Amino acid sequence: MPICNNNLRLLVGLCFVGLYLLVGVPLWYNLTAVYRAPLPVEYIRSLHEQKFHDVHMVIPVYIKSIVYRFPDVHEAVQVQVNHLLNSRYQFVPWSLQVLPHSEMKGPESENHVISLVLDDFVGYSISYSSKETTVFFDDRSVISNDVPFFVAQTIIEHTFTLELEQLSSDFSRKHETTAISYNPNIHLSVSLLTGDGYPISWEIDSALKEYFTPLRKLLSPLVNFTVDTGITYYNDLNLHILNESQSVTEQDISHAIDLSELSSMNYFEEPVSLNLAIIFPSELTAPSGLQFINNNSTPEDYGNNWKSYVVPQWGVFVINKYPLQRDSKLTGSFLVPIMYQFANDLFQLLGLAKNSGDITHPGVTIDSFKRWTTLRNINKAEETLWSLVKLANSFEQMSIPHEVLTNTTAALDLRLDIIDLLNDPKKGGDLLWNQALALSNQLVKLSETAFFHSEMVQQNFFPQEHKIAVYLPLLGPSSVVIFFGFIKLMKERNQNAKAENEKEDKDSQKSEPSNSTEK
Amino acid sequence: MLNFWKSYVVILLLCLGLLAFADDVKHTNNWAVLVCTSRFWFNYRHMANVLSMYRTVKRLGIPDSQIILMLSDDVACNSRNLFCGSVFNNQDHAIDLYGDSVEVDYRGYEVTVENFIRLLTDRWSEDQPKSKRLLTDENSNIFIYMTGHGGDDFLKFQDAEEIASEDIADAFEQMYEKKRYNEIFFMVDTCQANTMYSKFYSPNILAVGSSELDESSYSHHSDVEIGVAVIDRFTYYSLEFLEQIEKNSTATLQDLFDYYTFEKVHSHVGVKTDLYQRNPRHVLITDFFANVQNVQADKRSEENIEESKYSNDVLTNNVLNLAAERESDENKTDVRESYNNSANHFIKTHKLNNAITDDFSISYKTRIFAMSVVLSLFACVYLTKGVKAPTTKQQLFYI
Repeated sequence: MPICNNNLRLLVGLCFVGLYLLVGVPLWYNLTAVYRAPLPVEYIRSLHEQKFHDVHMVIPVYIKSIVYRFPDVHEAVQVQVNHLLNSRYQFVPWSLQVLPHSEMKGPESENHVISLVLDDFVGYSISYSSKETTVFFDDRSVISNDVPFFVAQTIIEHTFTLELEQLSSDFSRKHETTAISYNPNIHLSVSLLTGDGYPISWEIDSALKEYFTPLRKLLSPLVNFTVDTGITYYNDLNLHILNESQSVTEQDISHAIDLSELSSMNYFEEPVSLNLAIIFPSELTAPSGLQFINNNSTPEDYGNNWKSYVVPQWGVFVINKYPLQRDSKLTGSFLVPIMYQFANDLFQLLGLAKNSGDITHPGVTIDSFKRWTTLRNINKAEETLWSLVKLANSFEQMSIPHEVLTNTTAALDLRLDIIDLLNDPKKGGDLLWNQALALSNQLVKLSETAFFHSEMVQQNFFPQEHKIAVYLPLLGPSSVVIFFGFIKLMKERNQNAKAENEKEDKDSQKSEPSNSTEK
Repeated sequence: MLNFWKSYVVILLLCLGLLAFADDVKHTNNWAVLVCTSRFWFNYRHMANVLSMYRTVKRLGIPDSQIILMLSDDVACNSRNLFCGSVFNNQDHAIDLYGDSVEVDYRGYEVTVENFIRLLTDRWSEDQPKSKRLLTDENSNIFIYMTGHGGDDFLKFQDAEEIASEDIADAFEQMYEKKRYNEIFFMVDTCQANTMYSKFYSPNILAVGSSELDESSYSHHSDVEIGVAVIDRFTYYSLEFLEQIEKNSTATLQDLFDYYTFEKVHSHVGVKTDLYQRNPRHVLITDFFANVQNVQADKRSEENIEESKYSNDVLTNNVLNLAAERESDENKTDVRESYNNSANHFIKTHKLNNAITDDFSISYKTRIFAMSVVLSLFACVYLTKGVKAPTTKQQLFYI
């Protein structure tokens, strides 16, 4: 009977051990294993280590001569252009494809055109409104065969100056603090603030339609603007504290002004917002006007009664000297100069110009900005994917869902599509650069969707005490019973074995005297 | 002469100092993340700590949209609170911390470790509102303040879970990798607080904690009417220092660190500077606790003003004029296109007319053909049947 009981107990113990090994361990592994989609790590690493190794952006330029016919001038200019570009360091490889004007596809306004004009002097002129560069040459330069060099120097150092400067170094914006980070969707908030509570009105609707809508259309390949307007009463952004000061520095204004009420981005869908605030002081705090705004002006001198300031990455505020009278209405004639000033500032805030009003040929600059932004977007997406790979390698317990892999692959495919567009020397013109920019925006979005996947969050660090705290109550009760049962079983077996040995000994001792008697 | 040299040296030093400040300032926006990890009435002081910090950063210009406030928010309207709807950080009840508009972004059971990590790493589902996200970039300086009950390398969240110092360090690393900050100033007021920043390894992070390993952080004083402690010592003296700060203050973080003494705080305040590139002596308090926007005056000379009056002249080079010119060109093109389109329509109509005319000619011929067929049929019938014979009546009257 005890032997049968021991066998049963042994069988139960073995069943438990089998259950642990055959069911428990696979179940534990399946429930605790973290899914990590296999990212193309090596490919992304190579993109990071050899940046833009597969990019060679080609920009077609069409050359035409007004007076003389130079049948091979495009070839001669091409040689000079190549020589000049090869002499400079290029972080992103790029070149110009100089072609005769007859080979132009599409309308002239959409392409870069170089016009050679015979004149009494040598010089150049870049059109303000179009992408045309005019190079003036004289007969002496023709005889000395200097025209190709003049043309090459003009287009590289003046027409494509943005490419020359920006594509020669990496895209870190360490010194860029005025312009906002590029985003294809930007919200513009136009506010009128008055220190008093009198009812006021303004013709902002017609002013925006007449002046800002054309600007929105001009910039529409780069940025999609949404606009809202509003009037805020009893708020002069805290400027009244500077009222008594005769000379106020920019630093004084930056310390005094309180932009917190206008800085809320939460009400707009767009990730980035810019502001234009037109501020009037209160009659109570500044009955004779703010002293630090143009001392010599009179209330009738509307042109000199305001001063505008640029706040980096925020927008523009316009401080008016005199408070608004009761039931005032701001007409279009008052708002128009402000709109003109703001348009210049907007180019600075978007990163198209270094300083306000510093844009000399917007047609060419906007075109160059598209290419530069496309390349920056490619760089940004690559950096994001590289960060994703680094984090995936660093945090081994972090799950990587399959969607992350899908988005990463889609981003890498899209990157190749964009590079095909940029590298094709037969393609050019506004449509191409617009398409490349739009695709690059999509590329950034895909890479960021991959990086910021909502399931890639968890506590990565689990202390040993936590593991014990989780597993001990789970496995403890059954394991303790089995463990002590096993010990007990072993003890009983030993005792039984001892008892049997003793019994055998006794039996043998009992049998020994009889043997002796037999002897 | 001596005075001249003294003034010269002073001016030189001032210029150097200004240059030192000017060189290092890179941020363009400030954010604050204020977290109270405790709940329940007896942790009143932790709520007061956080609300005091909230009031300070808001006073110094950080907008509500750039402050993330995580707070269990269960003391202002607690039934034990004698001053319903108010929270005080001093027994003199001078400042009602809950009096002004307080925008709590995460309240009650939303204050979790997961949400805090998600906030830092910005990994949310698509429907997460913008007001509850830390939308920082590479130009952002972030002030992170945490208070609650902690221990060696952990901080409890609402008696339900805990965050390890490694978790915060890893979250900061993810932020650094995605360029989500320029600099971080991490301040923690809890028992054994210095262990909370001990595992940080990402650059540009400056950290200060209220107490070292195996050391408690203490409350400052209790309010007899409220019945519990109302503020912690470390936060109390931090606020005492910060109350003197305005947006134009030149006080530095080192001044703040020097302000903490063992006699005041009753514990050893720790500062971690090895990850931080700047010297705290050159870092303004306002670089983290305020939102001081740089301002650049537009260079509008008198001539430009005069010009701007007439700048809507089409001949003036201005981007608005260019845009207007493009628009008018496009409109002309549109008109031309519409004219062309109308011409096309006309051509189509003409073709249509031709077609209709052709149809008419076809139908006319068809009709003539049909008529001729009908007539020929009648003729055939007439010929085959012959002329009918006159009736009797006809015969009687006409014959």
